[in-house]
Amino acid sequence: MNTYKYENIYVGLSHSFQVRVDQKEQDSFSNITGDVNPLHRDVAFAKKKGYEDCVVFGMLTASYYSTLAGVYLPGENSLIHGVDAKFLKPVFVGDTLTVEGKVSEKNDTYKLLIIKASIRNQDGEKVSRATIRVGVLE
Amino acid sequence: MKRAEIFEEVQKIFRKVFDDEQLEIKDSTYSGDIEDWDSLEHINLIVAMEKRFQLKFDIQEVGELENVGEMIDLIERRLNGQ
Repeated sequence: MNTYKYENIYVGLSHSFQVRVDQKEQDSFSNITGDVNPLHRDVAFAKKKGYEDCVVFGMLTASYYSTLAGVYLPGENSLIHGVDAKFLKPVFVGDTLTVEGKVSEKNDTYKLLIIKASIRNQDGEKVSRATIRVGVLE
Repeated sequence: MKRAEIFEEVQKIFRKVFDDEQLEIKDSTYSGDIEDWDSLEHINLIVAMEKRFQLKFDIQEVGELENVGEMIDLIERRLNGQ
């Protein structure tokens, strides 16, 4: 886990990591949230709606923005204030995602970072993008 | 920039931060008047104002603000170099 202090962070600093989304994550997310929508759990239903397989919960994909801030940028001293996320393309179970974020602004008054982040699948397609507002604790 | 102009810009910032195009602020408006105005949104307001007016506030001076009027007075003073 990274342990950045506010003063050591600069505009342009970036981090990324990879994660594979398996059925286990999909099932866990459904159990935690109670979201049992068939698009995410019933292949036949998903195919009927025009998708090749069950679609990964968009909020599960977006949850990796939490990992980006809490583990990588800034890591240990992270306090997420907000995430504005967009889901651009469907993610399917078995996809390998690359989550990347770059510091685009710093606010010295509140030791706040604005991070522009994106998530791409194994084919390089951008499946999500987000603006993350994260404070850096002392 | 005249106080009325600052007020108009601050009004725009409030509407954007709180996602409410109908929001009308007054000098006397304070955090108790706007349900979503909590400590995090206060940070968002100040950050947006610093950006709009190209100012840098001291965390103590913005922490002492009681209402919108004091916020605008502070911006006016700072824009005038006081």
